[in-house]
Amino acid sequence: MNTLKLNGALFADMIRCGAKNLAEKKEIVNELNVFPVPDGDTGDNMSLTINSAASSEDIDDPVSLAKTSDAVMRAVLLGARGNSGVILSRIFAGLAKGLEGKVEANLQEFDNAMKMAVSEAYSAVAKPVEGTILTVIRDGVNSAHKEMTSETTFEDYFEFLAREMKRSVDRTPELLPSLKEAGVVDSGGVGLLYIFEGMQFAFDGEKVDADFLKTRKNEFEELDISLFTEDSELEFGYCTEFLLRLQNKKTNISEFSVDDFTNYLKSVGDSVVCFKDGSVVKAHVHTKNPGEVLNHCQQLGEFLKLKIENMSLQHNNSVIRNTYSVQNIAPRKKYGIVTVANGKGVVDTFKELGCDVVIPGGQSMNPSTSDFVDAFNQINAETIFVFPNNKNIIMTAEQASEATEKDIRVIKTKTIGEGYSAISMFDTNAEDINTLIDELNGIVSGVVTGQVSQASRDTKMDGLDIKQGDFLGFSDGRILVDKKERKDIIPELAEKLGAENFDICILFYGENVGENEAKEMEKILKEKYNRLEFYLLDGGQPIYDYILILE
Amino acid sequence: MLVLFADTDMDLTKKEAKELGYKLISMPYSIGNDLIYPYESWDEFKAHEFYEQLRGGTLPKTSSISEEKYVEYFEPEFKKGNDIFYVHFSRNMSGTFDAMDKAVEKLKEKYPERKFYEVDTLGISILGYVIAKEIADLFKNGKTVEEVLEWAKKEVKHYACYFFADDLKFFKQSGRVSNLAGTMGTLLGIRPIIYMNDEGKMLNIGKEKGRFRAVEKLVGYFEELSVDPKEHRIILASADNDELVQEMKDKLEEKYGKGLKIETTTVNPTIGAHCGPDTVGLAFYAKHR
Repeated sequence: MNTLKLNGALFADMIRCGAKNLAEKKEIVNELNVFPVPDGDTGDNMSLTINSAASSEDIDDPVSLAKTSDAVMRAVLLGARGNSGVILSRIFAGLAKGLEGKVEANLQEFDNAMKMAVSEAYSAVAKPVEGTILTVIRDGVNSAHKEMTSETTFEDYFEFLAREMKRSVDRTPELLPSLKEAGVVDSGGVGLLYIFEGMQFAFDGEKVDADFLKTRKNEFEELDISLFTEDSELEFGYCTEFLLRLQNKKTNISEFSVDDFTNYLKSVGDSVVCFKDGSVVKAHVHTKNPGEVLNHCQQLGEFLKLKIENMSLQHNNSVIRNTYSVQNIAPRKKYGIVTVANGKGVVDTFKELGCDVVIPGGQSMNPSTSDFVDAFNQINAETIFVFPNNKNIIMTAEQASEATEKDIRVIKTKTIGEGYSAISMFDTNAEDINTLIDELNGIVSGVVTGQVSQASRDTKMDGLDIKQGDFLGFSDGRILVDKKERKDIIPELAEKLGAENFDICILFYGENVGENEAKEMEKILKEKYNRLEFYLLDGGQPIYDYILILE
Repeated sequence: MLVLFADTDMDLTKKEAKELGYKLISMPYSIGNDLIYPYESWDEFKAHEFYEQLRGGTLPKTSSISEEKYVEYFEPEFKKGNDIFYVHFSRNMSGTFDAMDKAVEKLKEKYPERKFYEVDTLGISILGYVIAKEIADLFKNGKTVEEVLEWAKKEVKHYACYFFADDLKFFKQSGRVSNLAGTMGTLLGIRPIIYMNDEGKMLNIGKEKGRFRAVEKLVGYFEELSVDPKEHRIILASADNDELVQEMKDKLEEKYGKGLKIETTTVNPTIGAHCGPDTVGLAFYAKHR
């Protein structure tokens, strides 16, 4: 459809579609509340506000857009709840003023009315704050206005509007420090976006029964229990939400780590959103085992409120559309970590150590400056540490650190071993950054990395006559061992590196090495160095058949 | 008569408790559906067997005992006309003491003449153990209840306990050390060093690479904090790792000579369920915790 004129009937459908879209997603909006209090949630408030219009019969004037928009205005002004609901109502009030006296509107007229909606919304607040619903509506309207031409349809206009509103929502943490602290986007902005996103569905001819919105309040009646039968498989798990009061007798509240708790939730489910305010933790997780989550939580405190829903029942027959999905931005933390590695096992190991971003790369493929900058942009931290793990990547990392406003510190690790060792001892609670850097450099100087690879050509080096295809064991730029057979390398390399003087040995074996051979190496080293703590890991890295780390 | 109570969370074996004059309150753990009460469900703690099970992947859980259970322990003594002196593990480590308070409150109504005294060791495992031993000695040496309570008020916070865990998954499950750094997902040889503070809570204070360096770190804390090291008990313990206990003993004797009053013991299974196998630690008399 190419809608060039907006009439009352279509506008009423748009309002209902917008209300429905928000009603379906209001829990997501609720989760974004910075302060985890159980009532007055933004999603509920905005949803009830727009529903007051969507469920009103007065908006169904088949003839006049002005009458419909006026009815919408009266309904939302009366139905407005909460600050975000009030601003929302003023947006529609401004729109109605702009459409006054119009039986239908062309896009030019509608665009003018949207501008009035923006200024009316701003005038509703004594001291407008940026990074809120206000910014989102203004950005959306400004951008749509700029993009529109004489050819633009209403469909296009709403597309422009929604696209910019999404971007604007994503920018809100940059404008409002409290959002950034909490690691969320603005909830009101998201609620507004869901309404405008939903309004677009009306262009596809979607109709919403106003009764659907009226009965929204009674959640139980909505449950279609036939969607989960005696033989159903638990496909989606349970949407589990709770407010947990941490208790002194169960845990040390001031030391409670939201990060650790979030990691725990991620280990048992997904779609994790988690905040803490004082001793109250608000969390949302989709899990197949809510019982385990509850047991774990009860070891820390007691529940103030709990809600568990089988998501098979939530996935009712409504059309699945590709709508805005809220990113769970990590809460701002003191330190972030970026490193560079190749091979699934090596990458996983770094992630488990707490690296925020592991850029793929290494010897054969050096990451670019922009790879680093992209990584920095993904991290919400006061200071970001970079461990390049290759001397050929250090300069890129340093250049990238100058290409961003963020505080970046490059620790010049030249090998995976150095990077691993330093990151594993990273003190995330460190107060003084210079002491931390000294410590990290100290750790780096205390680790030895040996690597094994195959010679790519004949050469003479370090007193060795190397033939192409030979296996080489080297460390710190020097070739120490040259053998025809790979399995002969590790024992001799370990000896040359003085393995008996170390406490820990980590051996990553690469993608060319079988598990049996690697275990054979483990056995040999364990027998020879019985004080050495030994860890064998399937690194899966290319080029280096073995990475031997001695700490 | 005064009857002394202690609990199994403080590493006392049945035999030791008897020698010291304590009746033991058993703090349970469970494996699967089996709820196990140390020294009630069995007579002897087979440490190696238990910790091997944990190494094999078993994650035991612990639970607190009920008000009724406390009544079962205490009421017979009150009935006989005895008073009770309970030396227990840290209140801040468990909700079980709410149940105990309720039990005691009810029993006091029923037996208004009877007295109930308690000493919170603000410790668990060997930290409770060393304090329980000291208190038993004081009573043996004829000290009165008031004198012992006075001693406890002054001295409990002079007993320190430092230890390191080998596999963090146990603490992560139990949530008992809440400030474990987020970076410690995989350990691969890194040992978080943990101590018990003045509130009787466990706190992470650092990490060390490798078990031998971790042992050295513990010895370092001893050197820094101990007072009259040859005059007081030093308790060394592990969750089934004699090699490291020996290493720690050697290191201490290297520095202080042979005259130390070192005792060694094994971490009880209920606490073992929280800290995991190969946890190693020491408790000693210190300037402060």
